[in-house]
Formats: sequence, C-alpha cells, structure tokens
Amino acid sequence: MISTIRRFATLVVCAAAVGLASCSDSTDPVDEPVLPDTPFTLTVAGNGRVNDRFTAELWVSGQYAYTTTWGTRTSGGVSRRGDKINIWSLSGNVPVLVDSVIVSDATTLGDVQVTTDGKYMVVATEFAPGSIVIYDLANPQKPLQIARFQNADTDPGVHTAEIQVVNGKLYGFLSIDPRSSTNTLAKLVIVDLSNPAAPAQVLARTMGTPFVHDVYVRDGIMMTALWNDGLTIWDIGGGGKGGSPSNPIQMSNVKTVGGKAHNIVWFHDAVTNSKKYAFVGEEGPGAIGSSSVGDVHVVDVSNLSAPVEVAVFSEPNAGVHNFSADEQRGILYLAYYNGGVRALSTRGDLSHCTAAQKATDGRCDLNKMKHELAHGLLETGGPIYVWGVQFVNGSVYASDMLNGIWKMSPVPAF
Amino acid sequence: MKLDRLFVMCASLAIAPALTGSNGVARPQDMMHMDHGADSTAKFHWGLSGIVLGTRESPAVDGRTLTEGYLSQPMFMGSGVLPRYGFALDLTLNLERWTLERGELNAGMFGEGYVDRRHPHTYLHEVIATWKKDLDANAVLSATAGKGFVPFGTDDPMMRPFVKYPVNHHLAQIPERAIVVAAAAFGPVGLEASSFGGDEPESPSDWPNSSRFFDSWAARATARIRKASEFQVSYAKVVSPEIAAGGGLTHKKWSASGRYESKLLYGLAEFERTQEVESGRDAFSFKSMLAEGSLTRKKFSVAGRLEQTERAEEERDANPFRTPRPASDLSILGRTRWTIATMSASRSFAVRKTTLAPFIEVGRAHVAGLDRFQVFDPGSFYGSDVMWSFSAGVRFGVGMMMNRMGRYGAALARESMNMGEMEGMEMNQ
Repeated sequence: MISTIRRFATLVVCAAAVGLASCSDSTDPVDEPVLPDTPFTLTVAGNGRVNDRFTAELWVSGQYAYTTTWGTRTSGGVSRRGDKINIWSLSGNVPVLVDSVIVSDATTLGDVQVTTDGKYMVVATEFAPGSIVIYDLANPQKPLQIARFQNADTDPGVHTAEIQVVNGKLYGFLSIDPRSSTNTLAKLVIVDLSNPAAPAQVLARTMGTPFVHDVYVRDGIMMTALWNDGLTIWDIGGGGKGGSPSNPIQMSNVKTVGGKAHNIVWFHDAVTNSKKYAFVGEEGPGAIGSSSVGDVHVVDVSNLSAPVEVAVFSEPNAGVHNFSADEQRGILYLAYYNGGVRALSTRGDLSHCTAAQKATDGRCDLNKMKHELAHGLLETGGPIYVWGVQFVNGSVYASDMLNGIWKMSPVPAF
Repeated sequence: MKLDRLFVMCASLAIAPALTGSNGVARPQDMMHMDHGADSTAKFHWGLSGIVLGTRESPAVDGRTLTEGYLSQPMFMGSGVLPRYGFALDLTLNLERWTLERGELNAGMFGEGYVDRRHPHTYLHEVIATWKKDLDANAVLSATAGKGFVPFGTDDPMMRPFVKYPVNHHLAQIPERAIVVAAAAFGPVGLEASSFGGDEPESPSDWPNSSRFFDSWAARATARIRKASEFQVSYAKVVSPEIAAGGGLTHKKWSASGRYESKLLYGLAEFERTQEVESGRDAFSFKSMLAEGSLTRKKFSVAGRLEQTERAEEERDANPFRTPRPASDLSILGRTRWTIATMSASRSFAVRKTTLAPFIEVGRAHVAGLDRFQVFDPGSFYGSDVMWSFSAGVRFGVGMMMNRMGRYGAALARESMNMGEMEGMEMNQ
C-alpha cells in the first residue's frame, strides 16, 4: 500500500515536473528568442553597379535578379528615364549585368515580380496611361513581352503590382495612382492572369486615402496598405465570408499610428507556426537620396476580424521601405533607404514588454526590446538609398537607388 | 466640380452691370486712387486687362532654349457696391485656361502641377462678398466670404511691376480658396482672421472642395504709417494644400513684409518661411527673401527685383514642365535655391479708353541644390545652373484697373475704402 502511495506520489511529482517543464517551454529560444546585445553587420559579397538610372524594385528568381528603374537620372548632361529592367546573373558573389529591357511608353517603373514557377515576370508602369507588362521567362536572360494590360482603370499609372495565386488561379493586384486633373481617385484593380497572354480584369474598386499603395495576398486573405486609412483585411476566398478576387469582402481595418501605410508582410513563422503578426511599413516624407522617415508597425492579426497595433520599430534617422521575410529563422529584412538594410527578429511575444520597453504611447518598442538583429550597407563608404530587399537562396539582395544591386550574407547564427 | 457652366453664367451676370457702370481710363503704371467720398448710391465698375508678350528662356530645360508667345493674365474685373448697406461684391475672372494651358515659361516657378512654367489660374479667381461697418472715424469692422485671397502674405504678383512671377508665389500668397474673413481696423492698425479650405486648385475649372471647408486658418496684422508705408506679419496653417482629398503635408507659413508706395516710388521687401509637417513631425522647410522696387515718372517706369527662394524638386511627368498631382507618396527629389535678379522698363500710353504699356523684362536665375546627396542635379537637368529670360510685350487695360489685390473690407488701406468700397482692390482710374 505504501509503495503504491509512493508510486502515486512519484507520478504526481513527475507529472508536475513535466508540466512545469512544458510551461517553461513557452520561454524557450523559439518563443522568447535570445537576441544579440549588439546588432550584427551583414557582410557584403558584391555590388552590381548602376549609374545611368535610379534603381527601384528587385526580384530574384533562380540564378537571376531583375531590377527596375525609376524617375529621371541626369548625369554627364544626359537624362535617362526609369524605363529599363536590368537582368543580373547571380552565379557569383558579384551580380553581373547580363542584359536589359526597355519598357516602351513608361515614364517610370515600379514593382517587378516573377511567378513562383519562374515562367512569367510582371512589371508595373506609370505614369499615364499606366499598365502592367507581362514577360515570358522561358529564357530568363531574355524576357519576351507577351502582353500589356492597360485600360481606363489603370490610368494614370500602376504604382505597384503584386502577383499571387488565389484558389489555384494567378491574379495581379494593381494599385492605381490618383490624379487630380482627371478627378481620379486611388483604386485597386485585380486582373486574372491565369492566361498571362490575355489578362482579364475582374475588379476595380476605389480605396485608400489618398493612396492604395501595396497589397499582400496569402491564404485567400488580402491585406491592403491604404495610407492614412491604415491596413484593411479582405476575404478573397480564404476568410470564410464568401469573398473572391472579383468581390473582396472587408473583414476589418486598423488605422496604424501616423497613417501612411505603405506595405505589408503577414509573417508565417515556419518553426513556431505563428501567424500572429502583420508588419506594416509607414512611408513618411523624405528627400530621395538623402533622408527618409517612417516606422515599422506591428499589428496583431491573430483575430483577422479585429487587428490591433501592438508594437513599433523605428530608426531615428531613416525611414523604412520594402520588406522580405526569412520565415524559417523568424527574421524580417527591411529596406531602410538611407538607413541601409535592417534585420528584425519577429519571434517572441511582441505585444508584451516591460514598462521600460514601451514607447510613450504604450506600444512595445522593438528597439528597446533589442529585436534588431543586424544592419547592412552602412559602411559602404558612400551614400546609399535602399528601395527593396529580398532574402532568397540563403542570401540577402538589396536594390539601392543610387548604386544598383547588392548581395549580402544573411544574419549569422546566434 | 467643373465650373465651365458657372463661369459662363457669372461672366454674363458680371458684364451686365459693367455695361451700365462707370468706367474710367485705365492707367496701369499710375498709382492714383479715385475718391468717391461718402456717396451712398450704388456703383458698378469693370475692367479688362491682359499682357501680350514673347519670352525667350535659355536654357529652359535639358540645355534647350525656348522662345514662346502668350496672352498672359487675361482678366475681367467687375465690382459693385451698395454703400447704404455696407455691402460690396467683387468678381475677377481669369481666362488663362484658354490662353495659357501649357503654362508660361517662368524660371523657378512651381505649383499646381506646373514647374518652371507658371500655371493658369482658375476661371473664378475671385468672387467675394463683403459687409463693412464704420464704427467711427477710426474704427471699421468687416466680414467677407467667397472665393479669393486668404489674409496672408503680400499682394498678388499680377498687381506688381513684373510680368514674370517670383518663385515664392506659393510661399507668399494663398489665392483662390473658399474663405471667410473677419477684419477690423483701428486707426493705422488692421487685423484679419480667416478660416478657409486648404486645398489648392487642381485645374482652372476646379472649385474648392466642400469637404475641405474651414480646415485651415490664417491671421494677418498690418500697420500703416501715413499713406505710403505698410508693414504686415501673418501666419497660416494650411492643411494638405497639394492633395485635395486630404492626407498630404500640412504647411505652416509665416510672412513679414514692408511696403512703400507713392506716385513716384514703389518698394516691397518680404520674408517668408513655410514648414511642412506630418503627424506633428517636421518634414521640409522653405524660405524666401524678396526685394523689389520701381520708379515711375512721366509714364516711364523702371523696376528691379531681387529674390532668393527655396523650392522642392519633385518627380516630373513625361512632360518635363509637369509634376504629377498629387505626387506619388510624400517624397521629394531634394530642394533647390533660386536666386533671381529681374529688371523691367515700360512706358504707358492712353489710346481712347484703352491703356497700353509696352515693356521689356530681363531676368537672370541661378539655381543650386541644397541637400547633400539629393538625386536632383539642377546643373545637369537644365544644362546650366544659370538661366536667362528675355521678355517683351504690351500690357493693355480697359476700364477699372486694380492697383493691389489680396485684401478685403476693413483690411484695405483707408484711402482705398473711400473709393466706393471696391473690396479686394485698390484701383487706378
């Protein structure tokens, strides 16, 4: 009898110990990561220089990178428009320019993206009339234009374009510039690209005050960055509200602090399976080439119908632009204009912090929580202005408006 | 809101009284004011004016010299007063939409989607109703409403000696807004306060957006010494002027100036500063200093202007003289500082009831970048950092001619208020 009691007591103690141990798992390195005291420096592997035009967006597909160009650059008395796509070989450490494509009837180019199967590339053009141009990448060094989509709804310009698959069908999500002279409001146009040679518009809807800037699409959920209207979440097939690309149904909205919602990444952590946070970039007023302003806003989207901003990351002397996620390691890479490239840990509970780690308005401050893991391109010896960043194939690539394309090592193990 | 129909209707209404109203011989270069005294009968005045000119600018853009001709500043002005009720109505129609759509070459000038060309103004430059009450010989109160000038800064450049606008037009004046103004004058001191819609016009036929009414404010204090000298300080908070739908940068504007005017001499010195802010944070700031003067004798006039003004450089459209409105996002390409010296000479003639004033005008502009690493390189963009402008032409005017523009009711100089209550304008007759 006594031995039975002892066994039972031992069992209770063990169970309690296991329970405590499992409780302590919630603070293991995955959930509450051990972060470096001092951010690492991302090691530069090489730079593919561009001096004749301003470099804009970047997309890496396989062993090639595609960079667009922007605005007008004047050097040596010659002005060149941002109407060129540069094609880079990434076989070595230094990106090598192998070819380029001039996009006709474009004043400036914005986003570039390649389909996940590597078959097609889509580029946004502005200003009037505004379009997306679709290329066949059967030969990735020699993009072949197969279609151009433009109509009254894409006028006066397609500022950004995202391509994603929704319920097995490829779509393009086009953010259209507003234009005062024609009383045109900002709007989102969605195009069915299941036949890339024959794009078909399925939606044009006015949204954004005063801009709709970027769109993020995943799992049948669409998130739109609507500038001063903040972040809006839509069901387009995965939200259970009956929405579709041709009829998005709004699920919720959150006005991020300070507005100017510019871009979004909904982070799906591949290790913790957390889908709790969406990261929203704020683009404030900057002087291109020399200054920028804007924070990273962390929105808890664990309830897609009731998102809440919980944290912020800011740099005092620079503003954020585009993002790229390393979901295996829980790292978000940030293009930070004159602030280079920053790497942010997305792991742990970003909505709870000590009083000393809070910003003055009560949000958790990821700077004070030491979530910045690394920075890059701050020691190049010259001015930088980083538009885009992409983590892919174990490397970090950055498009720099002033200097072209950079290849860097990722955040080292810590 | 498109105003083409409204414009035609207003023009018809305005011309009707004009045809029966009093009209004197226009003398654009004279500075003589008429005085209708305390006459309480209703009065109507009207006038037509404009400038026919040619301009050669070198370089205008990309190293190219451009030579162009214009009918600039074509305007119809009408004014009616009912002194018995203290009520006045003023109308200024601007026809530049029809004569100046491509814009007028004007080195350094910017605004409303035009750059290095002056934009056409709206059809309805002013339509203003004012009620005024004399409290005693030294105290006047007034209330003004309509579309016109915000009580901020200095006189409209159209009423000044030069054909080419100063670069600081959008720093030193806030025209063509839906406004309400309360003004008071106590002896030599005047005070004005205004609420208005901050959105600037998007096209010549644009009307202030009702959703923006009263979102901005301004105040101006003026002191006058005798009849000739005038000093003003003013402040304005203008919400999102460049994005009509709202959501753009707020402009906080300061202005201070001194002005002297006699039959022989005219002089103006002004300083302006605009601080653009968003979410409580400072963004870009721009300053301007300007001094100008003229000497007029026996219908000959010579004038000189020296200006240094900072402006934003923005992404340009396929047309290098245009910037998208609204701009994409809130960023700029950098700031530049424009230093411009301008000289002008003219002689006026009266031909029956029409005044003609042939003129020549020469300007030299120097531009320099202000921000380290900014992506806009003015020397490369223009082909030189020095630009020359040569203009010659004829000003013409029929009927009532305005001498000043930008003040209403109690804010007008006392001698102007006795002219028959032509609100917003001091006239040459």
